[in-house]
Parts: sequence; C-alpha cells; structure tokens
Amino acid sequence: MGTFVQQIVNGLTVGGIYALIALGYTMVYGVMRLINFAHGDLCILGAFVGLTMLTGSAGGGHPGAALLLLALVVSIIAIAGAGVLLERIAYRPLRKADRLAAVVSALGASLMIENGIMLIWGPQVHVFPSNLLPATTWHVAGATISFVQVMIILASLVLMAALYLFVNHTRFGTAIRAAAIDQDAARLMGINVNRVITSVFIIGPGLGAIGGLFIGIYYREAYFTMGWTYGLYAFIAAILGGIGNIPGAMLGGVLLGLFNAFAAGYVSSSWQDAITFGLLIVILLVRPTGLLGERVAEKV
Amino acid sequence: MRRFKLDGLKLGALLWAAGLALPFALDSSWVSIAAFFAIYAITALSEDVILGRAGMFDMGHAVYFGIGAYVTAILNTTLNVPILLTLPLAMLLAAAAGALLSAPLIRLRGDYLLVATIGFNAIFVLAMQNNPGGITGGSDGITGIGVPSLFGLQLESQSAMFWLDWALLGLVLLVMRNLDTCEFGRALRYLKQDELAASTLGVDARKVKTLAFALGAALAGLAGTLFAVQLSTVSPSSFVFTESVTLFAIVIVGGQGSIPGVLLGTALMFVVPQIFRSLAEYRYFVFGIAMIAVMVLRPQGLLPRKRSAA
Amino acid sequence: MLRTSTIGLGISVVLLGASGAAHAAPPIKIGVQAPITGTYADEGQGIARAVKLLAAQQNAKGGLLGRTIKVITCDDQGEAAQAAICARQLVNDHVVAVIGSYTSGAALAAEPIYARANVIQTSDGTSNELLKHGYKTWFGNAAPNSAEAKFTAHYLVDVRHDKKIAVLTDHSSFATGLADAVVADVKAAHGTIIDKSFINAGSQNFSPVLTKLKALQPDALYFSGYYSDGGLIRAQMVQLGMKATFIGGDANQNVAFAKIAGAAAAGSIIINVPAPADLPYPVAKQFVAAYKAKYGALPPSVFTLTNADGMRAVMQAIAATKSVKPAALETYLHGMKSFQGLTGTFAWNARGERTGSPFVAFEVQQDGTYKILYPAPTAG
Repeated sequence: MGTFVQQIVNGLTVGGIYALIALGYTMVYGVMRLINFAHGDLCILGAFVGLTMLTGSAGGGHPGAALLLLALVVSIIAIAGAGVLLERIAYRPLRKADRLAAVVSALGASLMIENGIMLIWGPQVHVFPSNLLPATTWHVAGATISFVQVMIILASLVLMAALYLFVNHTRFGTAIRAAAIDQDAARLMGINVNRVITSVFIIGPGLGAIGGLFIGIYYREAYFTMGWTYGLYAFIAAILGGIGNIPGAMLGGVLLGLFNAFAAGYVSSSWQDAITFGLLIVILLVRPTGLLGERVAEKV
Repeated sequence: MRRFKLDGLKLGALLWAAGLALPFALDSSWVSIAAFFAIYAITALSEDVILGRAGMFDMGHAVYFGIGAYVTAILNTTLNVPILLTLPLAMLLAAAAGALLSAPLIRLRGDYLLVATIGFNAIFVLAMQNNPGGITGGSDGITGIGVPSLFGLQLESQSAMFWLDWALLGLVLLVMRNLDTCEFGRALRYLKQDELAASTLGVDARKVKTLAFALGAALAGLAGTLFAVQLSTVSPSSFVFTESVTLFAIVIVGGQGSIPGVLLGTALMFVVPQIFRSLAEYRYFVFGIAMIAVMVLRPQGLLPRKRSAA
Repeated sequence: MLRTSTIGLGISVVLLGASGAAHAAPPIKIGVQAPITGTYADEGQGIARAVKLLAAQQNAKGGLLGRTIKVITCDDQGEAAQAAICARQLVNDHVVAVIGSYTSGAALAAEPIYARANVIQTSDGTSNELLKHGYKTWFGNAAPNSAEAKFTAHYLVDVRHDKKIAVLTDHSSFATGLADAVVADVKAAHGTIIDKSFINAGSQNFSPVLTKLKALQPDALYFSGYYSDGGLIRAQMVQLGMKATFIGGDANQNVAFAKIAGAAAAGSIIINVPAPADLPYPVAKQFVAAYKAKYGALPPSVFTLTNADGMRAVMQAIAATKSVKPAALETYLHGMKSFQGLTGTFAWNARGERTGSPFVAFEVQQDGTYKILYPAPTAG
C-alpha cells in the first residue's frame, strides 16, 4: 500500500513538471501548428538563469524565499523574452511556408540554445543550493512526501488552473482561441494575430521557465543537454493529451509521469521507456488525436 | 520539359561517374567521409520516400537503418554469412518491419504519427541495449564484422569500400528517379497533395502508404548493411532518436522529393560539420544558427523539387 | 639558383636546430580523440585539456628528444561513425599515439583503424569487446571492470557481510559491464543479489525504481553508473527513507557527487582507486593544482587523470626508448614493470589491460571529503 501511494506521489511530481513544459508546446501548437522543438531547451535555459541569480548574488549567505522569488521572476522574464525573440527570428518568416520548414528551424534553435548554454555555463553538471526550501517531509499512508514535492504539485495545479481560466474566460483568451481555430477569420474579426502569437510565446516559455526552475530546485542539478530530454517527454505529454488542447497537456503530463512510475515500479525498469512508449502508441491507436484532442480532419 | 529532365539525368550521371575518382583525389580520412556520405545519402533518400514523397512524418527512421546494420552484423558474426548475402535479408527484414509497424499507424495524422515513430525508435534502441536472446550484444553492440567480397575479391581497402557504397548509391538514385515517373510515385504525390481527392481517383491510400514505408525501410536497411561494414562494429548509440532527427532535417533542408536537394542536404548536415572541426566546442552552436538561416532564407529547401507539369 | 639556395638555408636551419633550439625539428604529434561536443562534452573537454597541459609542461622543459610535442584534437561526439572518421584523420596526421576516446562505443569503432595503422591508443574504455581482438596497439588506462568487480564483491560479502544486495545500473556499455561483473562475482562469493534494475541515465526521475527497491529492503544498493545520476539516487534514497547503504562504482567519484546529494551524501561509499586530491603521490597533487591554475576548475572526473596517465606513459616511453617508432613504444609499454601514475602505480599486461590498481572503499563525509574505510589505512 505504502509503495503504491509512493509511486502515485512520484508520478504526480514529475507529471506536474512535464505538464508545465507541455503547456508551452501545446499553446504554440494550438495557434501556429508548430512543434517548437526548442521549447525544452528554453526551459533549461530558465533553470540556468535562475541558478545564476541564486548563486551569483547570495554572497554565501542563506538564499531565502525572497531571493528564490526574485530568481523566478527574472528567469520568467528572461525566457519569455527569449521566446518572443526566437519567434521573431526563426518562426515568423516561415509562417506562410511549409509547416516542416518551421519545425527544422526549431530543431536548429534547439541546437543553438543547448550549445549556447554549454558555451556560457560550461559542460559540467551544475548544482543548485540545498537550502532554498525547508527539508520538511511528511509521512502519509506509508509514503514519504517532501515540501518541494507538495510545492511543485500545488504550484503546477494553480498555474494550470489560472491559465485555463485566462484562456477560457477573458477577452484576450477568446482572441487566442479564435486565432487557434482560424487565423484568417480571426484577423477579419479585428483580432491582432501577431499580438496573440507574441503572447503565446510569452506565456509558454514563461511557464516553461518555472518548470525548468522547479527541475533545478527539486533535483538540484542542471546540465546543458537536459532540455532535449525534458522537451521530448513534454512533447509526448502534449500529444498524449491531444496537442493544441490545454487541459489535454495537463492530463498528458500527469499521465506520463504516472506511466513512468508504474512501468519502473511494477513492470520492468529495463524496459521502462519501451513500456511508456508502447502505452502511448496503443492509446493513439484507440484515440488517434490523443485523449482530449478533437476528432477533426487536419488542416492542410 | 522532357529535354530538361534528360539534361538533369546526364549531369547526375556525369557527377556520379566523376565521384568514382574520389579515392584518387582524397586522403583516406576524406575517402571514409565520402563513403559515409554515400551511406547517409542512401538513408536520407529512403527517408525522403516516406517523408518527402508520401508526406508521412517519420521521425524514427534510424530504426530501419539499424535493423539493416544489426541483421548484417548478427548473420555475419554468428553464422558467418558473407556480407553481400546478408544485404538482401537486411533489406527484406527492414521492409517487413516498416510495413508491420506502419500498417496500424497509417491513419494517424501528421504529428501523432511523428510521435508514434519516435516511440518505435526509443523501443528499438532499448531492445538492442537489453540484448534479447543474447544476440544483439547489449550496449557494447557487435564487433568484428567481416569484409565484403565480390567474385572472390576482398573489398578490404578504404577505396574498395567506397566504390561499393558509391555503386549502391548509384543504384538507389536510379530507383528514386524512376519513382518520380512511375505510377506508384504519382499515387504518392496525389496522396500527399490531397488524400481525399486521391481516394476518389481510386488510389488505395492505406496500401500505397504502407508500401512507401516498406520501400523507404528497405533502402534504409541497405544503407544499414553498408554502415555495419564501414565501421566493422554496430552499437545501439548509432541508431538513437537524434539520428532520426538528423535524417528528417536533411530532407527538409535539402528539399522534399528532390533528389539533388536531399544529396545537398546530406552534404550540408554531414560533410560541412567535418570541415568545421576547428570550431571545436563552438561547432554545433554555429551549426544550429546555420540551420535556422537556411530555413528562413530557403523555406522550400536548398534545391526544391521542380513543379512537374503533370 | 634561388631554389638551391633556399634548400641550403633550410638544411642549415635543421642542423642548427639539432644542435641548439628544439624548434626546427618536426614536432612529435599526439592525438586526442574525445567528445568535445554532445552529451559527454564535460569529460571530453577535460581529457583534451589534461593532455594539452601535459604537452605544454613538457615543452616548457624542452620537449621530448629535442622535439616539441604537438597535440591534435578530434571531436568524435562520443559517436561510432564520427570516431571512425576521427581515427582516420589522426592517422593521416601521423600521430604517434592517440589518447581517447571516452565512450566505449567510440573507442570500439576507432580501435581497428589504429591497430591497422599501428598507432598506439590509450583510452579509459573498459568494455570487454575492446580486448576481444587482441590488438597490440590497445592500452586501457582505466582499471578493467573485472578487478573492480572482484574487489567490490569481496568488500560487500566478506567485509560488510551484506545479506541482501540490490544492483542498479544504466544502459551504458561501461555501467552494464561493471554491474554484470559485480553480480557474477557476488554470486561467486556466495552473496545474495536480490534485484538488478535499470535507470535511464539523465532522466533524474529515479524515485519509481527506488520505491520498488525500498520494498525489497536491501542492506546495500550498488550503483555502477555515473556520478550525476549517483548523487541524485543517493538524495532520492534518503528522501524516500531508504535504509540501504549506497555503494557506488568508480564513475561516482566526482566532486559533484557530494554536492548533488547534498546533506544525503554523508555515509555513501564509493569504490575506486584513491581520489585525485587524496592520492598520496606528489605528482598527482601537482597535476591537479596545475590543472586548476590553468583552467580555473578541477578535472571533471577521475577519467581525466587516467587519460592523463595514458599520455604520461606514452611520453615516458618516447623518452626512454629515444624513439617514436610504434613497435619500440609498444614493447616498452607492455614491458614496464610499474608505472608511477597519477592514479596509482600500474602496469599493462600483454592484452593491454591495466593491472595493479589498488582499489579502496571510501566513505563520503559530511563536508564532502573522503575517508578510506577498506583496506584499513595503516596508522602512521
């Protein structure tokens, strides 16, 4: 029993992180039909910016909650800025082109950011300070839950709920949804599609920066190739839930975290990823557009 | 129009023939780069059958490349099957895998198919690492793969291996050119442009797409055999997901459905980084920027396919 | 006329060089084949830096045989195809010996090419496949898995008397090879392996597999993979309230291990040759200090030092044989009784396996330093 509950906690924690990163994939995809393969690298860039804030200015003393908050804010601003810049340079010129041109441009951007991180911060493993948050743990139903895990799960939920409300219950959110359905029609109705796209590249990478910093705080290590791994998992989460669909990305992230936990915990750790991918393929066979994706013909 | 195509063919044949002289002009490291170029060019052309011509987003193409390499490695090292005899088997098994894996997934659209193929790639690499039945050698892979022999002649030297790769590249180029004009090739084009319209014209989408996957996989299997021979060793790390991503990018950077485009794309993505080794740790930072620049400046690829009159 | 006079000038310069400055003679070329970019860039750049540092130090002392040493680096990204190309390039550059590569896959692809060209290859690759074909140009500069596994099994079963041992590994060639050897040796020593599980290197999310292992209540958890994962495994074990002792293989020995594990690091045990900073040999201390002074950071791992030992051995062979002929150098290296390495005293057997590495089990302390537990250090 304790083991089972523990696996749920394990799955929910990483699932929350996957979901935060997956939201960036799915929002960009929803509006632009673009798989932004550089998204994972942007998130890890966020972790590195945050790390520099935490270690550079602390002067050896206790970082404290205020500094953590500051690092979070700076990281969000920096990564949102990087996202907007990336869209202007690498994606906007390709808006009318074949979809795959932008995908390859995104792959190039991923290589550039990943290697850029290596050039700036070096190829070694970077370690986050250990005293950022209380080391408190609770024992619930035979499972151990730490303060950081609770914080990640709660913060992910709050952020996702806020995003859901923003997109579904504000004027600007309506504009985003309109642009996602049909950009030309949205433009005719007086919606500034460029502004919508810019906003998507602020919100997505901004949330991703939080996800990246959570990874740093929870696992306490960051290195330059991590973005590719997390980006891939998050992209799969977005597909699992139905790409372009915001609640789908949340569901996909959490499910992927749980799949991973149960595959390693109960089936076979040596086949962990094969089991996860196998489940994904089976789900796609049953629901070809993901769990919450709409069953409509793809726009050509 | 016909006259122009003939000129393109002549130019291609001339360039291919000139390529045969490369071993006399290059030092041995560049001969081996040229050999790898031929192998990757075959693999990229095979990806183009699926991605560029049939329009299916295959981001796990390294699987079929890997199956070819492993079939040759296993048959040659455990059963002593001569290399060139393993080649048709490698192609056949890769084709079978391509058809079987893709058949149920054909109806998946665009990005969902892309993720499913990524999944296959991950499962394949893990399977090779887990050494099922003790035949794949686990993470170490398989070493000591033999040398191909033709009419009793051992193709041992760098140059001989290059000529083998180059000759097979020539054959694959002929196949690809015929694909431009044959009925199957036209069916692929119709499907890619408008699946609904193609179906009303009597094209069996499911069958044509599965065949395209099988053909692409078979050609990748062929390249896999050559790869195993060139290295004399295979290991799972040569067939990971990032290799599939590179193949995907080669087709888009070069130009979908364009033979000269895919060849140029292969040169750009594989040969150019060899030239810029002196950039050391800056190499892939610059390479990433170059990829963005190429796409922004040439969204259709470097040498896009000419619109056919048909 | 002009032409002959330049040739004459050239000859006189060479003669001058032979008698005086060392710069006119062609340099002795040493190759480095290492992953400068990609996942293993940290280790690869460390190897290249160490070799360049050693060459610069030697050149400052007048080089070798009156010639300077020139280091040529080739980035193989840890990939087989790139490794084969690198090997051919370095062979064409007429290097005497090659240091590298870091990953077994890349070392394996390059090995036959160096063997055919008769170029010495010294690498930290530990895969048994590297020894399979008996190439005389191969010199493994890290202790083979077999010796480490034997020591580990003895330590777990006979010294610690662990009743239930769980083994954890990643999918890399090195770690699976070591894990398999430890499992076999523990069984041979009549110990009990209760489980062997896998992690995905770099995935960070190790709690699921650790939760499973916790339920099996092992006395010791042996991890054969790398420090960046090992430190996290240790931290997640403690977070899950796992009682088992963490015992890590040699790739866990890195300054970052204790930093990543944080407060949980204390009490973990790592099995390896003594740590660079703990090495009693003054040469090792001097080298680590010089490395830090030049590059502003400590070597990324002990493999930087094992590769440095490969380079030092090659330089010693050149100096002792007064030759850069492969046959002479290979005979010398195979015949060396004992070489004073940065990582301990060792020799090479006929297969090019490193022998005579003194393994120790040491415990990570609260402050990140190491305390040797076994064999018990002699008082003094």
